[in-house]
Amino acid sequence: MFTLPQKDFSAPTTCLGPTCLQDLGSSHGDDLEGECSRKLDQKLPELPGVGDSAMLSPNTSYLSSRGRMIKWFWDSAEEGYRTYHMDEYDENKNPSGIINLGVSENKLCFDLLSWRLSQSDMQRVEPSLLQYADWRGHLFLREEVAKFLSFYCKSPAPLRPENVVVLNGGASLFSALATVLCEAGEAFLIPTPYYGAITQHVCLYGNVRLACVYLDSEVTGLDTRPFQLTVEKLEMALREAHSEGVKVKGLILINPQNPLGDIYSPEELQEYLVFAKRHKLHVIVDEVYMLSVFEESAGYRSVLSLERLPDPQRTHVMWATSKDFGMSGLRFGTLYTENQDVATAVASLCRYHGLSGLVQYQMAQLLRDRDWINQVYLPENHARLKAAHTYVSEELRALGIPFLSRGAGFFIWVDLRKYLPKGTFEEEMLLWRRFLDNKVLLSFGKAFECKEPGWFRFVFSDQAHRLCLGMQRVRQVLAGKSQVAEDPPSSQSQEPSDQRR
Amino acid sequence: MSHWSDTLPVPSGQRRDQVPRDHSIYPQLLEITLHLRQAMREHFVQLTSRQGLSLEERKHTQAIREKEALLSCLICRMINLLQSEAASDLELQVPLPSEDSRGDVRYGERAQLSGQPDPVPQLSDCEAAFVSRDLSNRGIDISVFYQSSFQDYNAYQKDKYHKDKNTLGFINLGTSENKLCMDLMTERLQERDMNCIEDALLQYPDWRGQPFLREEVARFLTYYCRAPTQLDPENVVVLNGCCSVFSALAMVLCDPGEAFLVPAPFYGGFAFSSRLYAKVELIPVYLESEVTVTNTQPFQLTVDKLEEALLEARFEGKKVRGLVLINPQNPVGDIYSPDSLMKYLEFAKRYNLHVIIDEIYMLSVFDESITFHSVLSMKSLPDRNRTHVIWGTSKDFGISGFRFGALYTHNKEVVSAVSAFGYLHSISGIAQHKLCQLLQNTEWIDKVYLPTNCYRLREAHKYITAKLKALEIPFHNSSSGLYVWINLKKYLDPCTFEEERLLYCRFLDNKLLLSRGKAYMCKEPGWFCLIFADELPRLKLAMRRFCDVLEEQKEAWIVKQLEDAMRE
Repeated sequence: MFTLPQKDFSAPTTCLGPTCLQDLGSSHGDDLEGECSRKLDQKLPELPGVGDSAMLSPNTSYLSSRGRMIKWFWDSAEEGYRTYHMDEYDENKNPSGIINLGVSENKLCFDLLSWRLSQSDMQRVEPSLLQYADWRGHLFLREEVAKFLSFYCKSPAPLRPENVVVLNGGASLFSALATVLCEAGEAFLIPTPYYGAITQHVCLYGNVRLACVYLDSEVTGLDTRPFQLTVEKLEMALREAHSEGVKVKGLILINPQNPLGDIYSPEELQEYLVFAKRHKLHVIVDEVYMLSVFEESAGYRSVLSLERLPDPQRTHVMWATSKDFGMSGLRFGTLYTENQDVATAVASLCRYHGLSGLVQYQMAQLLRDRDWINQVYLPENHARLKAAHTYVSEELRALGIPFLSRGAGFFIWVDLRKYLPKGTFEEEMLLWRRFLDNKVLLSFGKAFECKEPGWFRFVFSDQAHRLCLGMQRVRQVLAGKSQVAEDPPSSQSQEPSDQRR
Repeated sequence: MSHWSDTLPVPSGQRRDQVPRDHSIYPQLLEITLHLRQAMREHFVQLTSRQGLSLEERKHTQAIREKEALLSCLICRMINLLQSEAASDLELQVPLPSEDSRGDVRYGERAQLSGQPDPVPQLSDCEAAFVSRDLSNRGIDISVFYQSSFQDYNAYQKDKYHKDKNTLGFINLGTSENKLCMDLMTERLQERDMNCIEDALLQYPDWRGQPFLREEVARFLTYYCRAPTQLDPENVVVLNGCCSVFSALAMVLCDPGEAFLVPAPFYGGFAFSSRLYAKVELIPVYLESEVTVTNTQPFQLTVDKLEEALLEARFEGKKVRGLVLINPQNPVGDIYSPDSLMKYLEFAKRYNLHVIIDEIYMLSVFDESITFHSVLSMKSLPDRNRTHVIWGTSKDFGISGFRFGALYTHNKEVVSAVSAFGYLHSISGIAQHKLCQLLQNTEWIDKVYLPTNCYRLREAHKYITAKLKALEIPFHNSSSGLYVWINLKKYLDPCTFEEERLLYCRFLDNKLLLSRGKAYMCKEPGWFCLIFADELPRLKLAMRRFCDVLEEQKEAWIVKQLEDAMRE
């Protein structure tokens, strides 16, 4: 269940997660270098053009051994996205370019956001914004974040600015939390499939790995829905990790879930939190999609809305504007934790994850504007998300393709298993490549550590014309599938992964 | 203090009779420490809950809070250490179901599991004190290291001097910030071209930095560093600050425990950037103030000294991966001549060392008779694949709050590896646009900003150095940067780092924040760094406070002399 990277080196996401960067002190240097190159040899046939000769012969490299791993990771992980960037679709300039349904970005509301961010209140410049400030974030912003989260998370009592730390995005927050909560080589539990980039975020600096809680699509036993997380599964994964000698320090929950679009009920959340408390585990709850729940009936509840947290000192909540305000390029993320030791330790690292003062000011203005958010932005955003979702899900239904989606997030988790005759990850990769060859970028299940080959994440939060064209290209690939499936495996197959949320 | 000593013996007294059973003092120590922590917390709550109305009282409370943070971090660390020892002594397991019972644990049995006795029963009543378990050892290390180094800065942040609102607040001549051109920058950043919101700026960026910004940086550096050929945007990586660039470089060039050489005294921020995340050691190449036959200038860096430091480090079994140079130097303010620079680079090449050159003050050379030579202006670099240049806007444009730093390196491997850190050190698209606009406008920079900035730096420098001369305080730097490196040795009796610290505290008590030599790894006690890039009224007040402290120091010295004399 718990994949050790040494045994399973089949995807970039597992390669780093694991012990590769761990403990690369001089005493182990030789062993690890040997190990790295061994792994690379294993990997090489599948990776022409990715990585380079320096990786093969560490002695000629300019980098440290961890530097080589980091570089290798970067080179391979970015491949899909780079291909897309070189040939991006543009209605006028490049109509045959690649349509991106792989990166989880909300491209539906740029008009609203551009308008709001261009208002005169956003343009303020004053000396204090240009100078060094409190590394936790300017107080005016932390106050605004506390108010904002109190309101939108429906917290029973007002949240406090002292418990807020502001950083340049969720990735940084994962990195900082991993570093201050775990020693190198320790782990967080995470239910799969999950947003794969977290593997890298916790590993780059922190050298922390993820211990997967593998979930199944099949509904059996006590489960009531596919990929359901239960305490039993958490217990099992924890024991598994323990027996492998891996020390688990915490649990990561993404709610609303990415890529399933699932939502944990308050009761479920409570159970997971009680489980964590029992084992003295930290819980990092990533609620980055909390305002992107476009089906009212989904009944989303933030963990901050719970009356009593089982272990408030070990519960840490993340939120950012990347998804809910469709501004992944803005780089604003925030931590809410009652644990002052954790807040202080994370703030100690904020020197490296700081956010421009001018942007902090703009964020405060944005979060403060409750009228605009409630009356303009959220209703419009939800309506657009819903329409786009309806379009893609109907397309999929027409094709007879099963999928999961519960009315939250920007994506649909699509079951293309029937298009893989042998049901292997290799076939999944081939299918992904075929989509890319037909100029549509998707994310494949392996990038989310899904244990069953054949699942894909379709991002639907894009403008209608691009969405139509994207779906048309998807249809073409699936229609031609039977004939291409017989082709011998392409020697050019590569294993990129989606590093964006 | 008395409060603690009252409560401390209680737990230890309770436990004394149990010593033989525990076989070890660790569990006992652990409990005492937990009690100590509890007592300390209560004590601080008492101290800080007295809501004083006056400014003085509030400041006092603030100071107490700072101390509390530091103490609790230290105690945390002790508890953590003790806990691991105590646990191993008592042969305690991680609170997981034991091996044999594993198969039996089912969903319905959770209640029973949770009802298991606490693995450390004697501690269960102090549940609230278990914060130590919340941070990893490195987390505690980071927190303590940071708190201890920045508590005074944080105190300043919370109690800044303001000419109307807070005349008793701290004046900071200890943080290297240029506050002289806020008017120009504020105006420039409010101009129309700065405010652009395009879709692309709000979307996921190229993690190396938006192409438009990297192009602009390459062009900017080509022009201002006088590069012999056009610099390539593909060699640029843009991150949110130079410390982030340094941190990422340390990660990809060194493995944990490996080291860089740095001529000391040097900018203390590097110590953080190498330690907090990367765990890379900085080995100081100690320079001396005294002028001798071999040391023709104070704090002169020579290849001999580099060689010596390298060999010594190697002898001690350390693996040195590179050399860090700051040019213009911080805090001494020296500018390396092209010749000496070349010698250092050749030294590095000889030993296969990387060279990281931080040129963050390159446009802050205010003495017009001196020319700064960027390493990028060299016709040929001895080892261009191991030469990495850092520059940012924090100092030269006085916008440290903007968070922008750039790396320029010919080494594609390093570019790739550092780019991976773009996820964690990225800059907002909106800020990237503004930076691009700022760097693009060479006309404004050349005709308005740089002349004004240099003039103001020169004036402030003139003011400060005149004061120092009047006080007969020796100092270094007459050409570049935002600081003077001053020698207060004569005010220390005896001349030790402890006395240096006490003098530093005396400045602090007088609401003046300076940086002391120790923070720059200076080998000789008594040196201080004084940042002069501040507006004249603040500077004047700061110097008044500065003089007051030195006057008191002198009086105290005289009194002490008299007392000593009378005793004899």
